[in-house]
Amino acid sequence: MKAIIVKGVTKDFGALPVLKGVNLEVEQGEIFTLLGANGAGKSTLINILTTLSQPTAGTVVIMGLDPRTAGNQVRRLMSLNAQATTLDGEFTGAENLRLIARLRGVKDVPAEIDGLAQRLDLTSFLNRKVKTYSGGMRRRLDLAMSLLGDPQLIFLDEPTTGVDPQNRLALWQMIKELRDAGKTVFLTTQYLDEADALSDHIAFIHDGVIVKSGTPAAIKQRVTATYTLQVAPADEAVATATLGAAGIAFTPTEHGLSLTATQGEPALAALLDPGVTVEHYDQDETDLESVFLNVTKEAVHANL
Amino acid sequence: MQTFNQLRTLTGRIIRQNLTNADTIITVIAMPVFMLLFFVYVMGGNIATTGAGGAQAYLLYALPGFLLLTMAMGSAYTSMRINLDRTSGFLDRLHSLPIARWVILGSHVLASVTFMLMAEALVFLVGVLIGYRADVTVSSALLFVGLSVLFGLGITLLAIPFSLKADNYASAGGFSYVLLMLLFVSSALMPTTGMAKPVHFFADHQPMTPIVNTARGLLNQAVAVSQHTEWLAAAWLVGAIVICGFLSYRVYVRMFLTR
Repeated sequence: MKAIIVKGVTKDFGALPVLKGVNLEVEQGEIFTLLGANGAGKSTLINILTTLSQPTAGTVVIMGLDPRTAGNQVRRLMSLNAQATTLDGEFTGAENLRLIARLRGVKDVPAEIDGLAQRLDLTSFLNRKVKTYSGGMRRRLDLAMSLLGDPQLIFLDEPTTGVDPQNRLALWQMIKELRDAGKTVFLTTQYLDEADALSDHIAFIHDGVIVKSGTPAAIKQRVTATYTLQVAPADEAVATATLGAAGIAFTPTEHGLSLTATQGEPALAALLDPGVTVEHYDQDETDLESVFLNVTKEAVHANL
Repeated sequence: MQTFNQLRTLTGRIIRQNLTNADTIITVIAMPVFMLLFFVYVMGGNIATTGAGGAQAYLLYALPGFLLLTMAMGSAYTSMRINLDRTSGFLDRLHSLPIARWVILGSHVLASVTFMLMAEALVFLVGVLIGYRADVTVSSALLFVGLSVLFGLGITLLAIPFSLKADNYASAGGFSYVLLMLLFVSSALMPTTGMAKPVHFFADHQPMTPIVNTARGLLNQAVAVSQHTEWLAAAWLVGAIVICGFLSYRVYVRMFLTR
């Protein structure tokens, strides 16, 4: 069973379409990351998936359930950790946790709070008023509140925004542990390195549509990876003629011949036939930032 | 049972927020007490009420009005708390939990009315300490409590649309000034007969005057209140609850359930 199935979801705010037919599937037990620029539709989609909002059209299935008819059943299985921490500053960390535990109907509240406090390293400040906490402590407490009641599907909306590097790494570790424990994590982030480090699956949303989706490695390869071939100086003329005859596009650079990722292998095969000496070939490392920019550029271009 | 526990948990949270917040305590309890003492001991002797004159006569006349004034001041904090929960994202967190939808605002309503009654009881106690003596029967005392509940419920429901729509915490409580103004320009703190003619007319025909007069009669059997005034008070209260309840529900549904 899929954790999330979204089919043809649209969302209009008055005359303004924000989601324009979103399709995606999230496997159980994976970290799925939704990437997109501000205003792309991330928050709108997350609001729909967490039952805070309803789609204008299309269907959503969460853990096999329809949120429109089984809202509270869905809410029992999932949890939302929103961008802004929602803590009572005048209450202690423990009191904040107890509040949510009681609302979620947790059976053994003290035991569950103790367990989470240890996992998230909250114990030393749990009995202090939250208004004295640092940003990182608040974020960890807020995450602990989202994990009460052992939800199977956890929505983390930009969980590390404004968090210092040390706490950021600790949160990354926690997110990986959730996945290792079999939980499904639906993550949005504005940090591409975070998506790269954590995700099993990434989807890019642009202007209300999923424009690219796949594993981080596959996306990087498919989108912008390039091959650079260096041939022996004596074979350069033969190499360019051979590639030209084979219909393989290339760009001469100071480092050699630059080709798109999909044409790297055919080019190598073509050059071997006439006996061209390939001194070096390399696939360029591509980061998600390049992918993100590329995807956005492609989407804008397609709309023109 | 789970729904009841959730309602109790959320109501307890808001009441505790009110009781541990100095600003709330000062505005909703200390300020009405200060005003009561000021009006009774500084101005009371100069305000013609029942003809007897003097601070004690004024206290006997005005305490019911101060009790309603206390509740009206509490409504500002009802609005601010709901607004803070909305703008901080706490309402969204609650909506993402397996909670019956009505419990979320229902807890605010229950906490608001409970806190207003607590504040009213404290101001009443101060009134008793400075010499107020209620002349009540069991039924009139219960009716007074009932009237307080209806008044608290009405102004709480009035607060909800403002609290949900206001951009920020500070502006959410602004509507309560209208309630306070209505109480000041009514029979709450002084008889309407000495007011300028147009103000007198307004005071006699706005909702607060029959409500305060009914409260006064319920706490003091010696005060004659016509049945017409009592029915008028009941009509204003029930009307306010129905209309404000409907408006609150509409705004809430639009903002949270059908967005």
